[in-house]
Amino acid sequence: MKVGFFVGCNTAFNRPDLEQAVRYAFPALGIELDNLEGQSCCPSWGTMPSVDVVGWCVVGARNHTIAEEKGLDIVTVCGSCYGSLAESKYKMDTHPEIKEQVNNILKDFGREYKGTSNVRLTFYYLYHELGPDKIKEAIKYKLDGLKVALQPGCHTLWPSKVYYDKEEDPFHPRVLKEMCEALGATVGHYTRLIDCCGMGAMRSTDMEKSLKLVERKLLSMKSEVNPDLIVTGCSSCLIQFDTAQELLRNSKKINFEIPVLHYMQVLALCLGADPEKVTGLAKTNVKPIIERIVG
Amino acid sequence: MTNEQAVADIINLSEGDSSLANEIRELGGEELLECIQCAKCAAACPLALAGFSFFNKRVIQAVLMGLRDALLDDSSIWACQSCNRCTEICPREVNPFEIIQAMRRVAIREFALPTLSIEGLKSLYDTGHAVYLAGAGNTRNKVGLPEKPPSTVANPEALKELQAILRKTALAELGIIPMEEPGV
Repeated sequence: MKVGFFVGCNTAFNRPDLEQAVRYAFPALGIELDNLEGQSCCPSWGTMPSVDVVGWCVVGARNHTIAEEKGLDIVTVCGSCYGSLAESKYKMDTHPEIKEQVNNILKDFGREYKGTSNVRLTFYYLYHELGPDKIKEAIKYKLDGLKVALQPGCHTLWPSKVYYDKEEDPFHPRVLKEMCEALGATVGHYTRLIDCCGMGAMRSTDMEKSLKLVERKLLSMKSEVNPDLIVTGCSSCLIQFDTAQELLRNSKKINFEIPVLHYMQVLALCLGADPEKVTGLAKTNVKPIIERIVG
Repeated sequence: MTNEQAVADIINLSEGDSSLANEIRELGGEELLECIQCAKCAAACPLALAGFSFFNKRVIQAVLMGLRDALLDDSSIWACQSCNRCTEICPREVNPFEIIQAMRRVAIREFALPTLSIEGLKSLYDTGHAVYLAGAGNTRNKVGLPEKPPSTVANPEALKELQAILRKTALAELGIIPMEEPGV
């Protein structure tokens, strides 16, 4: 099995430990990663999607064609990349006039968007291609006894029509829960599970309002689950939960710290990865959790 | 609030700009007129939850009323998380997210965009990444990765191709960022 790894911006430059986790876990599970050499930004929402529909799709299409030429699907660990790439694909696949304008630009560069590569999110790809049972068999370390609260992430769920891998009901997501349970975690439910974490454009526009959303989520998690660990399905949610807690403590909005990791980091640890390489940039203190996992 | 302030805050409907709705429909918000203002989208919107003045339903309402300046003078549309709960939930398939994006496209055509968006576009053109941290090479080395990811930053030819593609998009016509061809 082989798949193209779309690394994106925030993972490559802010949290390369997460990139390293993906580069460890996929081969450890027998899946080869292609680098999709020459890939660019997805493009992210505040750039070309805010300028023009065709401009958005053509930058997306250039990335799609890199995978198409190799006959590979694309996996990404970032919710924004996942959303932007899946939406540009959906637009071109359902609007022939957009696809035609995009291909008119691309033909001068020897490229043609065909729509043959699917856009996948890492843990959905593993869920559908391997399944939780195979992952259970492959891991060296288990999360036995560890209580986890989940942050699935907006772009992993909506709009469901643009995604290849679907939840039965995107307002009651199950895949990330099942994938954590496969590692031996106890997953607790909390009221604000599917609320937005406030990262992204909101954080860039109004820090105070963005922090308000993550504060509400953290308080709901703490009082209803009291988790040992927060597991995210999106790299942007990872950054928000990992960096916002110190700010909220400084302003006396919360008085606790919960360690935060992305699902792929937890999986890489369970598969035997070097903790420094796959979690070394976490701002929350993840060391006690790692000790409990790898002993 | 004094009475004078209260009066000044009242929206003057006769100043509405009826061309705004058409512009929105041309820039990606095709389903605008399908909206019945039922507010299901508002109930699901992080912007509404966080207390922004304009969220999906109110952006659509303001567009239909032609309140161009009210939308351009407010930062709400730029805080949209693109989360698409509204797209999922809308019973009329209006795609409220696309209407907020279309309003951003209107704003950009009037140069009413936040500095961060200009920086993001410039970074996309100059490096191929909207978010690029010049010092990230050290962080990447620290976790055992090569200094540069296998993207446009490690492939100058790929970056040149992306730049040439961007010069064929609406971005080039708008003149928001410098986009000279290298060596010209």
